[in-house]
Amino acid sequence: MSRLQLDRLGKSYGTSVVVDSVSLDIAQGEMVVLLGPSGCGKTTTLRMIAGFVAASSGDIRLDGSSILNLPPYKRDLGLVFQSYALFPHLSVARNVAFGLEMRGVARAAREARVAEMLRLARLEALAERLPKQLSGGQQQRVALARALAIEPRVLLLDEPLSNLDAALRGEVGRDIRLLQRESGLTTIMVTHDQDEAMAMADRLVVMKDGRVQQTGTQEDLYERPATPFVAGFIGRSNMLPGTLTNGMVVAGDATLRLAGQFAGTGACTLALRPERLSLAPAGTDGPGTAPGIVELASYLGPVREYLVRLGQDVRVLVRDTTARPTPLLAAGEAVTIQWDTGAERLFDAADAPMPCLQDDPTEARITHHV
Amino acid sequence: MEAVAAKLPVAYGERQARAATAFLSPALLVVSIMLVAPLLLVIRFSLNRYDPQELMIEAFTGANYLRFVSDPFYVAVLRTTLGVAFATTVICLLLGLPMAYRLARMTSRWKTFCMLCIVLPLFVSSVVRMVGWMILFAHGGVIDNLARWVTGNGLELMFTPFAVVMGIVSVNLPYVVLTVQSTIETIDPRVEEAAQSLGAAPGRSFWRVVWPLALPGIAIAGILCFILAMNAYATPYLLGGPRFQMMAPLIYQVFTNNNDWPFASAMAIILMATTLVLTAGSSLLIPRRYRG
Repeated sequence: MSRLQLDRLGKSYGTSVVVDSVSLDIAQGEMVVLLGPSGCGKTTTLRMIAGFVAASSGDIRLDGSSILNLPPYKRDLGLVFQSYALFPHLSVARNVAFGLEMRGVARAAREARVAEMLRLARLEALAERLPKQLSGGQQQRVALARALAIEPRVLLLDEPLSNLDAALRGEVGRDIRLLQRESGLTTIMVTHDQDEAMAMADRLVVMKDGRVQQTGTQEDLYERPATPFVAGFIGRSNMLPGTLTNGMVVAGDATLRLAGQFAGTGACTLALRPERLSLAPAGTDGPGTAPGIVELASYLGPVREYLVRLGQDVRVLVRDTTARPTPLLAAGEAVTIQWDTGAERLFDAADAPMPCLQDDPTEARITHHV
Repeated sequence: MEAVAAKLPVAYGERQARAATAFLSPALLVVSIMLVAPLLLVIRFSLNRYDPQELMIEAFTGANYLRFVSDPFYVAVLRTTLGVAFATTVICLLLGLPMAYRLARMTSRWKTFCMLCIVLPLFVSSVVRMVGWMILFAHGGVIDNLARWVTGNGLELMFTPFAVVMGIVSVNLPYVVLTVQSTIETIDPRVEEAAQSLGAAPGRSFWRVVWPLALPGIAIAGILCFILAMNAYATPYLLGGPRFQMMAPLIYQVFTNNNDWPFASAMAIILMATTLVLTAGSSLLIPRRYRG
């Protein structure tokens, strides 16, 4: 139950930088998810916190004091691995008791604590089983109970749901979240799965190539992505590289009129959320429009999905979520794609978001790390 | 759903078992012709009678076995052999375990190099290696001269138990290391990390987690080493010489020099039986839950 701070934490092997100056301040009881594609440095960061990888630079502080020089077994952190890493030769109860035995907890107290943990993890009936006799979901609950039994200062979860099948993932994820919230544990989870991260986090950290791209709530990341990478990684975005002039983005031979007012000119990338785009009759004009031709149309039940061609090799995906039972447009039909300020995001040549001059007071909150 | 899940592996297992039998049968055939038949022959010979003129006379007698157990010389040789085999096994495990652990947990490109270093001695005939040891141990050899230079007194290790044990250890160590290493490699390193994150210092995590999980492999390595040492021939012959006798060279001597096939056969059976009984007994030392 602690505050965990990463201060310009870095790891490099020779000349290759795996983690590049990651700073993070995690409040007590907060659940922070490190999210990113494989090789982005999220697992190395977690392993540095756990003490299995030595940091090359920076510091890790737990409640203000550095834990960098403590070996893993003195850090008092609870760890849950992707592979569960249960002790295959010990029963469920003895797995859960392991950390307490290492701490020299007296037998009576130990047994009481184990019983409590097994009850919390709904494992009472399985106490005497060996790990190999359990299902994946049950094994994951044992791993969690084992980590929580020692009342760790911080809980570290390394891809805890990746080895479970899709149906179990949501359930175990909610179990973890409930246990975490009840015990008020400061928690860091690592995952490459966006949905998992969005569902479980208080706050997310998106990483790429060893660097933090953006830190924020789910809403921050989705509504106000700080880089084109975040715009594409959290949810989906149509990415249109082009040039900004006079409130228009010229991408290839297509011209898009922006919905918001942006200062500046020159090379830029326009990110448009497919689900925030809609189709209007051809010839519609005004801010936030671009003419195009429907190339593919798919009826997906709640959503109609259109691939609209705006120009030579310039296509955008439109996910029309209107509840009205409108007929599916046919391929070849001329349309206008239409959006408002919330759908668009403009990045300059250095991948920094360009400020929208209109309103939006939340804009100032964004922290940009690149 | 559970019923289906429980049923499928059984059918699959049966099919697999049948396939395994089919795959094993050629080897089984070779083994029975090349190994079992000669063995039966040796058992039969051991019950025959020896005559200096006629050599082997068909008989059905336990005299050869009786001669072995009643002659203190032969019993002493068997005892020596057992002692050397035990010592070798203990030393091999003590030396091999840390090596195997380190090797199993290596991930760098040095691993291939280290593996090569361990396998390489197996490419050299043990006789050639023993000649190397002889140069070290012999009167006027490297160690002898070195000792004379340092202390003024020579140190002759040739034909001592030490020389023989060292020789067999050098032969058996690669087998022990490779066997234990392959077992440790099957243990997820994350399991050790889990133990450490729960407060176990590396030594404790080794004893509580790696040791019990590696025990079946360690036992196999120990048994392998013990059997190899019990039956060692070239090493005791070359490094033990006439002064330090072990079973295998002695059997050969009785067989060829004395032409006493029945007694040599009886000795062979006694050596084999002793090895088998001790090997079977050692598996009882491993707690049941850790067995394979």
